[in-house]
Amino acid sequence: MLFNSFHFLVFFIIVTSLYFLTPYQKRWFILLISSCYFYMTFVPIYILILGFTIVIDYFSAIYIENSEGKKRKRFFIISLIANISVLAIFKYYNFLNQNFSFLINTLGFINPIPYLSILLPVGLSFHTFQSISYTIEVYRGNQKAERHFGIYSLYVMFYPQLIAGPIERPQNLLHQFKEKYDFEYNRVVDALKLILWGLFKKLVIADRLAIYVNTVYNNPEQHNGNTFFLATIFFAFQIYCDFSGYSDIAIGTANFMGFKLMKNFNHPYFSRNMSEFWSRWHISLSTWFKDYLYVSFGGNRVSIHLMYLNLFLVLLISGLWHGANWTYIICGAIHGFYLVFAIITKEFRKKINVLIGIEKIPWLNKLLKVIITFMLTCFAWIFFRANNVTEAFIIIKKIFTFSGVVFIENPSMMIYSFLGIFILLFVEIKDEFYIGKYYFFRNTSWIIRNLSYAFLIITILLIGVFDGGEFIYFQF
Amino acid sequence: MIKKSFSIIKKNHFKYFLFKLVVLFLIVFILDYVIGNILTYFYFKQKSGLLYRTTYSIEKTEADLLIFGSSRANHHYNPNIFENRMNLHSYNVGRDGNFIFYHSAVLKSVLKRYSPKIIILDFVPSEFREENHIYDRLSSLLPYYRTHPEMREIINLKSMYEKVKMFSYIYPYNSLIFSIAIGNTEFNKKRNYDFKGYIPLKKILNNPIKIDITSSRYEIDNIKINAYKTFIQDCINSNVKLYIVCSPYYIKSNHIDYSVRIGKEIARRNNIEFFDYSNNPLFLNNSKLFSDISHLNDNGATIFSNILINNIKNKLKVSQFQYKL
Repeated sequence: MLFNSFHFLVFFIIVTSLYFLTPYQKRWFILLISSCYFYMTFVPIYILILGFTIVIDYFSAIYIENSEGKKRKRFFIISLIANISVLAIFKYYNFLNQNFSFLINTLGFINPIPYLSILLPVGLSFHTFQSISYTIEVYRGNQKAERHFGIYSLYVMFYPQLIAGPIERPQNLLHQFKEKYDFEYNRVVDALKLILWGLFKKLVIADRLAIYVNTVYNNPEQHNGNTFFLATIFFAFQIYCDFSGYSDIAIGTANFMGFKLMKNFNHPYFSRNMSEFWSRWHISLSTWFKDYLYVSFGGNRVSIHLMYLNLFLVLLISGLWHGANWTYIICGAIHGFYLVFAIITKEFRKKINVLIGIEKIPWLNKLLKVIITFMLTCFAWIFFRANNVTEAFIIIKKIFTFSGVVFIENPSMMIYSFLGIFILLFVEIKDEFYIGKYYFFRNTSWIIRNLSYAFLIITILLIGVFDGGEFIYFQF
Repeated sequence: MIKKSFSIIKKNHFKYFLFKLVVLFLIVFILDYVIGNILTYFYFKQKSGLLYRTTYSIEKTEADLLIFGSSRANHHYNPNIFENRMNLHSYNVGRDGNFIFYHSAVLKSVLKRYSPKIIILDFVPSEFREENHIYDRLSSLLPYYRTHPEMREIINLKSMYEKVKMFSYIYPYNSLIFSIAIGNTEFNKKRNYDFKGYIPLKKILNNPIKIDITSSRYEIDNIKINAYKTFIQDCINSNVKLYIVCSPYYIKSNHIDYSVRIGKEIARRNNIEFFDYSNNPLFLNNSKLFSDISHLNDNGATIFSNILINNIKNKLKVSQFQYKL
């Protein structure tokens, strides 16, 4: 069941109505049942995988809390192995086997290990990471083990964020399932505004741009450098609107019922450097890696060279997290390189800026930094979007020739695409640089407020793509 | 009084929310109704272009010979040649990117008005392949949903919520606003790029790939087969002579397509002629006759139309002879 489907609209109305009609002590049950149904609309049998990790983590956490020393560590490792094994089998097994085959075939042997014919369960990386964060927090003593099996199951399965995050922490989410939330007008309206904006981003921008991006990227031999340049810029907006649109709908859906999920995006394309980009892009994942991986590697408390290596490795692993494909790994490696390079050259770049006097014109300095960061991000997106590494290099080679007439199959498609991007930039620039000014959704005039909502709904009806596909991040 | 009752509503969050929601829905409904009706007016006011051709096919054509099919029908059959050689008014109903559901729905509308003498249905290999996006293509018929009840059953295949979505007056014209605007300009009226529905392709195929990329195995969609059967049955019931044609391809297929096999069998059972030119040696690897690997150019379409007419004429002669006997 997709958030951008009529099926979800019906589901949402039924579930939220039942939620508010049920006494608050029993609401967890309504949410759990509906979350099970939500998940089972994809591949029903895969609920057993979720059930497996839920049972293991539930008992592991209790045992971790009740034991000490080596025993405590043993239960923690059991939980980690269970979660990582599920990921390894369903997501990485075939990829590893394929690479192993390649390796031993070049040595003249035949790989005896068979491939698995399995579908990747939707949102596997998301709910596995959320489960891992729970046991880590219990192990670290930051979170008490949840005794209520139903509520713990709901923590893993809460439908708004089950498939593509935000990846929550137990400290933020678990206690919320025990609290009473009334139907508060302001909160409910805020939630609906966020859902509407998320739908706009998905239907009007992401799915529209996807048509052009898919046409170009799926036929790399047929298109020229300038076309790929435009398609890559489009993809940057597509993936942002697709994923942040999903996050907005998820956060809005949860907030409608009273739950506060963490913010996942904060206008990432206005970042002035890559470090800032990662503090604004997929925040729940980047903080997860920072809190649980980077810190475990020693964080900033190690030697400078080891810190560089750790930083690079974390970004490389985050690339692998996205998918079992070399394109994602290279994309992660590029981002790792960006971050390390930015730290190494920080002082040198400062000197250059002083030398050319750009710091005397702050707005230009800021603008240039934003554009450079955006372009660097776009370069990494080429690997993220390309069907394979070979095609990614073909595309890069073509882009740097800066040649050819841009492919336009349908002028109306282009107009809708640019119109969507224009509205997005208008709203994001207003939110980023003119905080507290030019309100539309929060305007004191009810006419402007209502017309703003109506404008978005009418625009969705007029130029939204209703037959668009899944959210990109569902595959992770 | 109003102020007092409003303040009572405001105190109850849920009632206040419902009140505001109703106000918003009213605004959206009015805007949707007004904009939707403006779009309807301008959609049906067009006098040329793709959208107009669909309207013409559904609501106006009275041609004796109709050609149904996808882009391959639209670019492969020249109605002028059919008119000259068969003395029958002809029109090409084919539309790019639309398959059996579209043909079936348009046929129902046509048969509601009149019965053509001959119908040619261009059959595409993989016609019955299970592909969900084919159902999305039915959106091209949404502007006719309200005025053509005979099409609704087919359009509703698009999704189970289509009836609900059709409460919106804008929805049928989703993503069409720019095309409708262009379709009403003087510039578009002067553009006369179709000849009785047929759009000739002028390009000659360059550097073609010669590998057969079609696959012999795929899942079959029974709903599509039923739509095909209905198409045949509707023609039979209306006494329309139907010819099903698989038009030429550039690349030789290494296998008999599963859909073609099923299509032929169903046609045979209903005594319908099925002409298969997909591996015709005159066209195979003849890049001069193709615009791309799937579509004939104008030159190729002229040759193909003549070949088909010869075959139809021969069949007609035989059947007339058999009838006399």
